[in-house]
Amino acid sequence: MRPDIELALAARAENIAIVRHALGGLGDALAIPPHKLDDIRIAVSEACANVVLHAYPPGSDGQMVLAVTADAGRLIVSVRDWGQGIRPRPDSPGLGLGLSMIAALAEEVQLGHDSEQHTEVRMTFSLNGSGEHVATGQRASTGEHAATSER
Amino acid sequence: MSSNAVEQSAQATGTTARLRLANGPGPLARPVLCRVVSMALTRADWPIDRLDDALLACDALCAHAPGYTSDGTLTFDVNACDGTLELRLRDLRTDGAAALVRDARLPGVGNVLEHVAERVLIEPDGQSSSSQLVLVIRSG
Repeated sequence: MRPDIELALAARAENIAIVRHALGGLGDALAIPPHKLDDIRIAVSEACANVVLHAYPPGSDGQMVLAVTADAGRLIVSVRDWGQGIRPRPDSPGLGLGLSMIAALAEEVQLGHDSEQHTEVRMTFSLNGSGEHVATGQRASTGEHAATSER
Repeated sequence: MSSNAVEQSAQATGTTARLRLANGPGPLARPVLCRVVSMALTRADWPIDRLDDALLACDALCAHAPGYTSDGTLTFDVNACDGTLELRLRDLRTDGAAALVRDARLPGVGNVLEHVAERVLIEPDGQSSSSQLVLVIRSG
């Protein structure tokens, strides 16, 4: 099924603000509680920042895509890129907390590739209250995701 | 969305975004599109009155566009560059773009889209029988 929303942007830091605002619009439309929307914004911002910082070689102009599906009290948010995949990065300029932060805020996190072999961070948020937090590298339904290391 | 489409949507400088809404896009279109456009124009230092005009055009499109899609999906290409916003609404029925312009006419006001935009273009959408509506709005 197609996601309810797909937003494609250049993978640049300033475009993360657009993603955050788009999520704000989504929050308005779906009446997402403010504290939950804050969690979603932080987690998605971290995923987008990972794309901006790590997905593409410096100086190249790659893309990031936000895909959102609302389904039965859950919000499934994917951040995709066409970059070099999620790999260990000892020289990372960041603190290395991005994926840990995402795992703490989302009920479920899947890392790997979608059906078109895009690198994907897929986060599931419960809109009905607090849910269990599960971090996994395997998409059970399709087997498309491979276990990966933090960027 | 294919990788080619995404790459093409972001080749220009400035802010370029492609927003696609599916599965009954009506309720989501206005709040999400308006947020994306307002952020892009704010970053481009648009004056508040023109930003407001651009959002009025977005409102007009989102109010009626769900009734004219060719496949139930709304696709907006947003390109804000050098004081110009190009807003391209794709995948409309053959007569959808023209109907959308007609629907933007208000009694005593006239056509909102034509008031706000410097250019209102109706174009065929690639090789398909779909149409697309292009608004070109300037910051000054």
